[in-house]
Amino acid sequence: MNHLNMIDPAWAWSPYESGSGNDWSAKQCGHLARRAGFGASSNELEQFAAQSPADLVHQLVNNRSETEAQQKEYQELARSVLATGDAKNLTSRWIHRLLNTPDQLREKTTLFWHGHFATSAEKVTDPVLMLQQNELLRKNALGDFGEMLHEISRDPAMLIYLDSVTNRKNHPNENFSREIMELFCLGEGNYTEKDIRELAKCFTGWEIKQRRYRFNKYQHDYGSKTIFGKSGDFTGDDGVDIVLEQPSGPEFIVTKLIRFFLFDEPIPPASLVKPLAKQLRNNGWQIGPVIETMLTSKLFYSDKVIAQKIRSPVEFSLGLLRCLEGTTNILELTTDLNDLGQTLFFPPNVKGWDGGRAWINSSTMLARANLVRKMLDRKQTRFAGGGLVDLCDKHQLKKPEQIVNWLQKMLLAVELPADVRKTLERKIDSGKGNREQRLRNALHMICTLPEYQLA
Amino acid sequence: MSLSRREFINLTASGTAVLGFGGTTPQFLTHAAMKAKSQEKILVVVQLSGGNDGLNTVVPFENDDYKKARPSLAVSKKEALKINDELGFHPVLKGFSNLYNEGQLAIVQGVGYPHPNRSHFESMDFWHTCKRKNEKRDSGWLGRCIDQLQQADPIDIAALHLGKEKQPLSLLSRTHRVPSVRSLEQFRLNVSQQESVKGIRNLIEAKREKANSLLDFVQASTETAIDVSKRFERKGKSYQPKAAYPETALGEKLKTVAQLIESGLQTNIYYVELAGFDTHSQQDGAHVSLLRQLGDAVSAFNTDISKQGHADRVLTVCFSEFGRRVAENASKGTDHGTAAPMFLVGNRVNAGLIGKQPSLKDLDEGDLRFHTDFRQIYAAILENWLGCNSKEILGGAFKPVSVLKT
Repeated sequence: MNHLNMIDPAWAWSPYESGSGNDWSAKQCGHLARRAGFGASSNELEQFAAQSPADLVHQLVNNRSETEAQQKEYQELARSVLATGDAKNLTSRWIHRLLNTPDQLREKTTLFWHGHFATSAEKVTDPVLMLQQNELLRKNALGDFGEMLHEISRDPAMLIYLDSVTNRKNHPNENFSREIMELFCLGEGNYTEKDIRELAKCFTGWEIKQRRYRFNKYQHDYGSKTIFGKSGDFTGDDGVDIVLEQPSGPEFIVTKLIRFFLFDEPIPPASLVKPLAKQLRNNGWQIGPVIETMLTSKLFYSDKVIAQKIRSPVEFSLGLLRCLEGTTNILELTTDLNDLGQTLFFPPNVKGWDGGRAWINSSTMLARANLVRKMLDRKQTRFAGGGLVDLCDKHQLKKPEQIVNWLQKMLLAVELPADVRKTLERKIDSGKGNREQRLRNALHMICTLPEYQLA
Repeated sequence: MSLSRREFINLTASGTAVLGFGGTTPQFLTHAAMKAKSQEKILVVVQLSGGNDGLNTVVPFENDDYKKARPSLAVSKKEALKINDELGFHPVLKGFSNLYNEGQLAIVQGVGYPHPNRSHFESMDFWHTCKRKNEKRDSGWLGRCIDQLQQADPIDIAALHLGKEKQPLSLLSRTHRVPSVRSLEQFRLNVSQQESVKGIRNLIEAKREKANSLLDFVQASTETAIDVSKRFERKGKSYQPKAAYPETALGEKLKTVAQLIESGLQTNIYYVELAGFDTHSQQDGAHVSLLRQLGDAVSAFNTDISKQGHADRVLTVCFSEFGRRVAENASKGTDHGTAAPMFLVGNRVNAGLIGKQPSLKDLDEGDLRFHTDFRQIYAAILENWLGCNSKEILGGAFKPVSVLKT
């Protein structure tokens, strides 16, 4: 059990420094790579280890390591799928980017916001609008949350998804104003139904024309509104600002960030949330620095955090490829991910993906194992350009013991039991099939084990 | 499990019990629970998408207004499969007729809701969520039912949607994700020729030294998953349906449901769909074929699960988002309407006709007037079958219709 309320917050958020009795090796670097991104190859881990934790995370947060050419390529690819008119094709494009981008933290955080501001192409249908929103989230992912909230409130995909387009003076639709309070900014219990009704009036007349936000002054309610005790003839932007001023906002966002980046359970105690919420408020809603505090903290590198998250389907499948320098047929991978319960651009509801234990049931567990089996059976799946035999050769892994140790180091946040390791070694050494098959079978088994489900 | 779900929910005042989370293995994963063949009640929902023509399903063959309104589509007294002197099934609904004669079918007539909406989406959304357009539709009635059930006594998979279609809104929950399954293959662990399921299972169940509640949870879940797979492997090979299913999509889906039930999967709600009921033109061919598929598949399913020994725990419900206009249109079809019959199948239903056939004279803009709100049937299913608090789920108190034997 995690006894998190016993932890001294000053210790928890103070920086983890390598040296002075703190390890800074593959274990810590691999952990950071899984949480700040989707995993790292052996080379990348070495690069990580060569820097201090503070410098490394500072870079991850602040550098845009995608070159302009890469960014352009991703946009071109995305545009090419727009031509198909089918939002489903956006999913595989994003998976492609998640697998290949050097800018992992930005993509990971963009994924966080996609779940936070959950908008489904199922309802929006127009892939252009979905992509536009995705770019909005990417641009603001590590920036100013207030700015992002303003932008998202007039984002056409969101306007459609939460029915703002039907929010008219005479028939206000409260959907968006409810969610901005409940799900986007404040959390349940931190507003009244009257606040929702009054805020909805602020957004009346916010419409879309030709795929862009448009203000329809004839549908806007210019009357006085009273929100959280403040009165005035507020506009929608005033409304967003009033929501942003509420005291519960930073704590709500920090709590969600901790659950996403640090641990699934338990709900973070107020003692841990408060210092970061203060940081978020004091620095004008800048998200990057708060994530930086989290990922450089002593808490982050402790056993309260390591292996305390269940991998999402995307993390589950991309982790394997990223860590083992793998490539595969992205379209098929994307299709298979549906059965695991995560289709990007198609979150299940307004709350996004719940995460944690909600990822797991019989059907999704079998889907996880079967996804890996299929991936390993697929001809296009390559590791460092070849088979697993080639990968082992590349890393000079000969004995089964070396191989299992290496795979454990690359893929797992927790060590395997000794007898499990022995069995895997035996299967690699003298199991059925040729060496490549034996290695693939061992890898399939590792990915089916409970350890690999954790990050 | 010493308490039934129902008792549990009643105990914990409107189902708001909060179960301890971290650290404890959920009840559904305990081996005792796995081994015990579940005696929980099962609900199978068959959604007829597009608006089924109720008047040509349960036909008022003696009614002159019906004959007048349907010059080309009316089913004659001679053709209809008699229910009584005034009503009969469409002749292709032999399946329903047999179920009726065996005391396995309840027909609730005139089902609808106030201020009917004739848009497919609006109406279906309302049937799914029980929420009007201006309300927030972020969960469905079955989704909320799952939340209640899972809170009281969590099981592995509370509900399953079978099919390739988009998952119906009725299963949407704010806290639980309902898996959609396209085929039974998804419940099978695929291994290479050199691997064995047993070998993988052995590695999964090996003892873990360090305490990590998430790891324990995932370990137990994976064991459960593999056991489910193994059971399919076994049952799949030996599964012999005890009824002849028609070779149709719906037949296949319901056969899969029967197989899942027989394999001991702990699932309370199964959801399948049959689409194509939007018969605006040349209704006869399409509608006849759909009704035949429906009747044959549902009756085969009911026979099968009864013979497998599950007669008293399976209830099948068929509904559509609306009925159709009384008068046929110029294209020998029918347009969107309102009230229609709803069908409940199983050994525990109050078999027979429930409620009156709506008047064909006193119409509401050319449509039948409902007399039974569909939420009253939901209430009966929730309260008397699944043991839930219906008021919370339906957003109000609806008097249950007595569709089930007490």
